[in-house]
Amino acid sequence: MNANLKWLKFAWLNTLRNRRRSLVTLSIAALGTCSILLAGGFALSTYKALAESSARSAGHLIVGTVASFEKDEDVPLQNGLDNAAELTRQLLMDKHVRHVLPKVEFSGLISNGDKSTVMVAVGVDPDAEFAVKGPFLTMKAGEVLLSGQEGGVMLGEALATSLKAKPGSSLTLLSATTEGALNAVDVVVKGVFSTGVIDIDKRLVYTDVVTAQKLLVSQRVSSLGVYLDRMEATDAAQARIAAFLPNLSVKTWLQQAQFYQGVKGLYDRIFGALGVIIAVIVLFVVTNAMAMAIIERTREIGTLRAMGTLPSQLLRSLSFEGMLLGGGGAIVGALLAMSVSVCLTLIDVQMPPPPGRSQGYPLNITVDAGMYGFALLAITLLAMLASLWVARKAVHQPVVEALAHV
Amino acid sequence: MRSSPVIELRQVHKTYRLGQHVVPALRGVDLRVMPGELLALTGPSGSGKSTILNLCGLIDSADSGEVLLMGKLVDARQEKAATLMRRDALGFVFQSFNLVPVMTVYENVDYPLFLAGLEAVQRAERVQQALVAVGLHDHAHHRPDALSGGQRQRVAIARALVKRPKLVIADEPTASLDSKTAEQVLDLMRECAHEAGAAFVIATHDERLTRRCDRIVNLLDGRIEMSKLEHELEAAV
Repeated sequence: MNANLKWLKFAWLNTLRNRRRSLVTLSIAALGTCSILLAGGFALSTYKALAESSARSAGHLIVGTVASFEKDEDVPLQNGLDNAAELTRQLLMDKHVRHVLPKVEFSGLISNGDKSTVMVAVGVDPDAEFAVKGPFLTMKAGEVLLSGQEGGVMLGEALATSLKAKPGSSLTLLSATTEGALNAVDVVVKGVFSTGVIDIDKRLVYTDVVTAQKLLVSQRVSSLGVYLDRMEATDAAQARIAAFLPNLSVKTWLQQAQFYQGVKGLYDRIFGALGVIIAVIVLFVVTNAMAMAIIERTREIGTLRAMGTLPSQLLRSLSFEGMLLGGGGAIVGALLAMSVSVCLTLIDVQMPPPPGRSQGYPLNITVDAGMYGFALLAITLLAMLASLWVARKAVHQPVVEALAHV
Repeated sequence: MRSSPVIELRQVHKTYRLGQHVVPALRGVDLRVMPGELLALTGPSGSGKSTILNLCGLIDSADSGEVLLMGKLVDARQEKAATLMRRDALGFVFQSFNLVPVMTVYENVDYPLFLAGLEAVQRAERVQQALVAVGLHDHAHHRPDALSGGQRQRVAIARALVKRPKLVIADEPTASLDSKTAEQVLDLMRECAHEAGAAFVIATHDERLTRRCDRIVNLLDGRIEMSKLEHELEAAV
């Protein structure tokens, strides 16, 4: 039998000496690993959802003038793109680009005749825009805008309530033109939606690009949203597109996604701290269990040393004991976490709406191979290190003293 | 041709510190143990028997004087070298057997051979021989807690002898055994000493055992007070 296997077998037999203690140690390692993986899986699931939401909202890449990303505009579309159609044609030649969607962003007033309120409006290419937005926009009433229907708008739910508007209602949009003059267009409400964020739903208006350009008296667009076939192609596509559009600025969704970055930064710290706390607990539990086991076996260690066992051989065996307890617990914990994650895909568990939001979201826990591998390795290594830490003194104790231990 | 001693102590001094007090354990001991010799160390508690065993077993070091194993000067403070010498040349038999409880009889006896790095086939053959020699080949797969005291001590002897050591250190090997079992264990040790040529240094109070040793060294206050049969033994070699 290979020497390591022999030591491993010896370690295994030793873990079975005090089964209750080993079971408690293994259970704590399992619960710790499970907690880390569930918390990490929840964070990953959140990151993924937010990343997808951000990319669907603005595009994987956003193409605009350099000034549009760096300066505030004095008048609408001051830093807009002039040749949107030609740019769109060029961008669509890239093999990873699926859609190029123009956006005209402006602000102004929206009025029902009796009441006017501030709006933040976006002129979009309706068919493609709402197709790529997918589940991140919930229709509350009416229908989504369709291309070719000029003069239609979609209102955020809270804004529609404020203006007592519903599908079919006539409203007026007022804004400054690119020349600084005041302009207005009459529009008809086609639908009412919710983004899930109350503050956005109080102000947001979607209209089509043509209506927006008509209001602003300009053929420019604010930016072009470039939608790729997959998220992973983003960085490479940015480099390619930036190379053939040197006079324009090309930003990734990540560079523009401040909310995503804020949430990720916060979650990384919260769940990172949680992971460290759990790892420390597991470390202490394994240390304690191994310390007790080693003290109980001091005389036996002395006997083995007298017979010619090297301290390094005993350390190997004792670290294997830690590995079996920690690694075994980690495997059980990983299986438990995986089971919970699978159950959550079968059972719809809704989380309450986060602060500032009107909608809850389904609780999903991502099963990520890299994270599982890292957690298993980390817990196993920690348990081995804990064992080595408490064993190092015992195996170097003078043999005479160890043999005299009662 | 005169054979050389397996272990030799030359003017060995050893003291222990007990709190503020320094207690002399050995005061200039000279001792030679020849191959195949069964040497009994006797004397009252605190006379230095265990200290001599520890020095001969290379698990403790002398304050002054020399310890030679098979003619080579050894220093137990050199931990790795001493450990390897114990592994290769020494066997131990303890009063309370000190078998590893999670290992079977077979695994306990196999352990020293595994440490020595022997091949599995060779080990299996030797373990089988050792277990047959101590009459426990039918108990190979029992755990120590399923054996009687005498059987456990026979396993301990098999474990000590399986690697064919030059020297066996035995601390009160019959103290925990009844008379009949003690006789069996003694017979076994004598047989091993004379057949395998292993020297035994045995610390004991047991007269049944001392009567059957080749030499008795009686210690008192850290000195050799009397060494019976020594002149006969020297004449023999």
